[in-house]
Amino acid sequence: MADSSTMAGFEMAADDCVIVQFEGWDGAMAQFEAQLRRMLDGPLPNEVGETVRHDSWVVIRVAPRRFWLLGDDPLPIRDIDPELGCTLPLGEGRVRLRLFGGVIKHVLERCVAVDWKTLGEGRAVQTGLHRVPILLLRRSAFECDLLVPRSFSKSMTEWIADASTAGP
Amino acid sequence: MRRLAIGGRIDRSQPMEFTFDGRAMTGFRGDTLASALLANGVRLVGRSFKYHRPRGILSAGPEEPNALVTLGTGGRREPNLTATTVELADGLVAESQNRWPSLKFDAQGINGLFAPFLSAGFYYKTFMGPTRRAWMFYEHFIRKAAGFGRAGEEPDPDRYDVRHLFADVAIVGSGPAGLSAALAAGEAGARVVLIEQDFALGGTLLSDPQDSESAAWLSGMLARLAGMPNVSLMTRTTAFGAYDGNVLGLVERHGSGTADPKEGQARQMLLLLRAKSIVYASGALERPLTFANNDRPGIMLASAARIYLNRFAVLTGTRVVVATDNDSAYRAAFDLATAGAEVTIADSRAEPIHDLREQARRRGVAVRTNSLIANALGRRAVRAVSLSEPGGAATVRCDLVAVSGGWSPTVHLTSHFGVKPVYREDIQTFVPGKLGAGRFVAGAVMGGLTTAGAIEQGHRAGVDASAFCGAAKAVQQPVRLELTEIDAGPDDSPLGTSLRPAPLAQLVRGGYGSPAILPELHRPRRSGETSHAKRTRGGDEEGAKLAAGKAFVDIQMDVTTQDIALAHREGYESVEHLKRYTTLGMGTDQGKTSNFYALSAMAGLRGMAVPEVGTTTFRPPYTPVAIGALAGRSIGHHYKPIRRTPMHDWHVANGAQMLEGGLWMRPWFYRTSGRDVNEAYVAEMRMVRETAGLMDISTLGKIDVQGPDAAEFLDRVYANGFARLPVGRARYGIMLRDDGIVFDDGTTTRLGERHFFMTTSTAKAADVMSRLEFLLDTAWPDLRVSVTSVTYEWAAMSVAGPNSRDILAAAFPDLDVSNEALPHMGLLEEQYRDMHLRIIRLSFSGERAYEIYVGASLGNEVWCRLMEAGAPFGLKPYGVEALGALRVEKGHIAGPEIDGRTTLDDLGLSRMVGKRSGYVGEVLERREAFSDPARPRLVGLRCFEPGKQLHAGAILFRPNESLQGHGLGRITSVTYSPALDAWVALGLLAREAAVEGAEIVAASPIIGQAVRARVVSPIFLDPKGERLRG
Repeated sequence: MADSSTMAGFEMAADDCVIVQFEGWDGAMAQFEAQLRRMLDGPLPNEVGETVRHDSWVVIRVAPRRFWLLGDDPLPIRDIDPELGCTLPLGEGRVRLRLFGGVIKHVLERCVAVDWKTLGEGRAVQTGLHRVPILLLRRSAFECDLLVPRSFSKSMTEWIADASTAGP
Repeated sequence: MRRLAIGGRIDRSQPMEFTFDGRAMTGFRGDTLASALLANGVRLVGRSFKYHRPRGILSAGPEEPNALVTLGTGGRREPNLTATTVELADGLVAESQNRWPSLKFDAQGINGLFAPFLSAGFYYKTFMGPTRRAWMFYEHFIRKAAGFGRAGEEPDPDRYDVRHLFADVAIVGSGPAGLSAALAAGEAGARVVLIEQDFALGGTLLSDPQDSESAAWLSGMLARLAGMPNVSLMTRTTAFGAYDGNVLGLVERHGSGTADPKEGQARQMLLLLRAKSIVYASGALERPLTFANNDRPGIMLASAARIYLNRFAVLTGTRVVVATDNDSAYRAAFDLATAGAEVTIADSRAEPIHDLREQARRRGVAVRTNSLIANALGRRAVRAVSLSEPGGAATVRCDLVAVSGGWSPTVHLTSHFGVKPVYREDIQTFVPGKLGAGRFVAGAVMGGLTTAGAIEQGHRAGVDASAFCGAAKAVQQPVRLELTEIDAGPDDSPLGTSLRPAPLAQLVRGGYGSPAILPELHRPRRSGETSHAKRTRGGDEEGAKLAAGKAFVDIQMDVTTQDIALAHREGYESVEHLKRYTTLGMGTDQGKTSNFYALSAMAGLRGMAVPEVGTTTFRPPYTPVAIGALAGRSIGHHYKPIRRTPMHDWHVANGAQMLEGGLWMRPWFYRTSGRDVNEAYVAEMRMVRETAGLMDISTLGKIDVQGPDAAEFLDRVYANGFARLPVGRARYGIMLRDDGIVFDDGTTTRLGERHFFMTTSTAKAADVMSRLEFLLDTAWPDLRVSVTSVTYEWAAMSVAGPNSRDILAAAFPDLDVSNEALPHMGLLEEQYRDMHLRIIRLSFSGERAYEIYVGASLGNEVWCRLMEAGAPFGLKPYGVEALGALRVEKGHIAGPEIDGRTTLDDLGLSRMVGKRSGYVGEVLERREAFSDPARPRLVGLRCFEPGKQLHAGAILFRPNESLQGHGLGRITSVTYSPALDAWVALGLLAREAAVEGAEIVAASPIIGQAVRARVVSPIFLDPKGERLRG
């Protein structure tokens, strides 16, 4: 799925992406994280909302014991030790909306209760858009990704497009 | 009244044309509608709520009780706006309200003649009979006779929006305290938002002359703040509510009453501002005075008269009586005199401050001490006042009465958090109570007396609020405002706005200067006294004559001192009861000018102190908010988000009539099956029973359950056991609430030793997910289990019918779907185009059926593949109406039976549980009350009356029983059964009557029909399950 639309000073594109969820068991997080670090050959984000990039993959800590791996190519999934945690693919259920443009702050103000000014680049936050749960990942000064449920993606796209036509 | 040639903050180079009740008028940019009306000589602007009395303009702000107008026409018509806050715009169209046929001649003014009968509680006492339905008759006329403006009925063409804003420090109010706080917080490095409801910043400073030192101070402050990139100045924005998490609800207005706002701009914007700290600098509101006919046009708050003079260059009267009980009104008197008015001050105190008397003398202002205003003379405009003085009564001719009864801090927002205001005896008013961390107050809202004090407090609050957020750069000392004007008040107040105590003795008597009411309210009634009016006429005839007329406490709701006395006599002593009985404080102004008087009056009547009486609860909104602003863009197409299955477009393209179920859009029926739903669903049922049908079941809730303790977890969650479910098998499960009532049902399939796939009903998907998370987080945190909603992840479809296996084999020729490889309740997991394909043999319809799950992105492809492969086998799609009917025939329960009241036993499911224990709801499920024989039991009902049909919701009775009351039970689900050629239903019937073969009457009172049916087994079709297992 790939779709895009362009408004003055604002662009939005929708496409599929790969998401894999890793969750560790309470009491085994140290070993779980150690195994995950080895699998990824790199560090993990320490706080909820923090992200770490590994090659083409972004690792997001979405909850104290949960990580999402986000990318464009299929992840060579290696199962985690079931005594330490579990994995679950989630990419089929979500669509990635990429928002870009100088007016992105004004568009987002009409969509989500997220402070764009203090949300650092590379930070992620789970929030609600038109009462639908989404994950917002800030990519740069004028760009972000929204991971929205596929079943709501058309409604979300229309809502954002409408917000982008609002005056200042 | 006249517009002065010079002065004010209006822009005379920009005239604005507008109309009021069709009359063309001109104002200037910088005017409010109220100031422009006054400048055009308009005194009469509205009629009162109940008595239709003529009303003028009382104030210059949001507290205005009288000057309510309707703006705009057609879809832009907006009623009940205060003319005092509407910014004048070119082309503005305004109308007065609640009058017929015209404002000057209002036929409903006749209500005033019936005033003696229209006391508090009149409606409750009068319109109770003769029958219970009588109110429906009366209401029509009452609504016409009393009320406010009328909303437009056409669609509103304008855009409204909602925005989320953030700040370190939010400051409410841009008076001296707010500006000082903003500067300090801005210098400290905080991200500051300054919120002002007016279209100009400055608050009370705007009421000073343009050439004053305070005006210069204001200009300097605004210039400094405008140069600070971290400070946002928001005008035309009202903070209407304060909520948990330091969230302020704001509404920002653009172009009231004018034509189109700028392209794309919202007419009104709801702003949800999340601030780390808040400074409340919301100021204070001047109180009017209570005396006979205190509502006449031409009676105005003293502060308002000064604002109209100095800010809008409108001299609102040439012969002015300033009635006051405090010092602050002297400034209005002095400014009016300086502008050329002949001014008399009627001061209720024995002696004002000496300096003020001297200042008055120098300006030619007469000061009458011990002088209480008793009555206002004139009907559509005041023409004189009667004063009660030690030497006797006096009448003074005038065209403006400027009144001041002291000041009430604006404690509304600070009280929204549930913090009750506290009473300050020294200034006899309520101030904010102790606020939580991160909330600060400054200025007049705390009863502050002087501008210098407000600036100092604001500075301190700004520093503290920014420090609370971690912004602590060095801050300069506050910019002081050193006024040298001789008219500084007694406390060296630069503004002279002393909150010097009002004489409480007068207030508690409920009628400032009203001898007619004073004795009644002042002392307890004696035995045998029945009427205030009788006694006062007999006891103080001269006083009563002097003060003849209504003395209003709540001017907007037409509540008088007598209404309060009546409420007290009838036992409505609590302020909350007083409010509801008299409607005091329940108008659009929320009693901003009346609350304190009402509390004081009730305190006096009860012989208590004001704080003992307490206050009513302050609730949002502070000022009215248009519904459009609250809705924002959530209207029409965007009213709610729509949830589409992966096959949605196929359904629409192939004739599906879609149905909303929650947020989901689901195929209800297909027009290819019939002309309407009744014809289509029967045809689709036949198709499923005879060949095969394909149904989109993507809307089912789907939850992935994994972990070493997953089986144990499900064993506790479901009432029936899951621990021993073999891998590769599915099981129907039922969950209970803690109270033993059935919560939801569904199936769970064991994918692996530690991995399960749960489905729930569409309606309960979110509730079940939330419940599972709650149990894991709170009840069983020791269990190593992960639950994740995967509802979006999978497209799901069910192929059902005798030909379903053949269709599956044709669609996926590489798969072994034989009965041996894939038996009923069996699982097959394969790959389809490198993605998981999950087939579970489950049946809701009673036919052989398979649920096919595939990644959502491939849902449409697999659906089309099945349709294509199934065509030779007669496969067609079917909708939820047919599915619901098929399950009724099979006796499967669903939402109508699991309605939050039924137990396992009621639904005939107890055997599933047996003697198990340890599951959620077990303890209370076994309580004695659930074994009551009067409890209902699930039964089948078959109609045997030719030509008649059963109806869902029908009440069940025994034959020959009176069809009254709740009966013995109800029909929950109903359908026509083509297999039986009869109307059949599922119902819940008292166990004593639930005997198979018994006759029952199903009565539908709404449609006035009673139908006879026979009690049968709830499984109408294939009781042995041969069709689904074969």
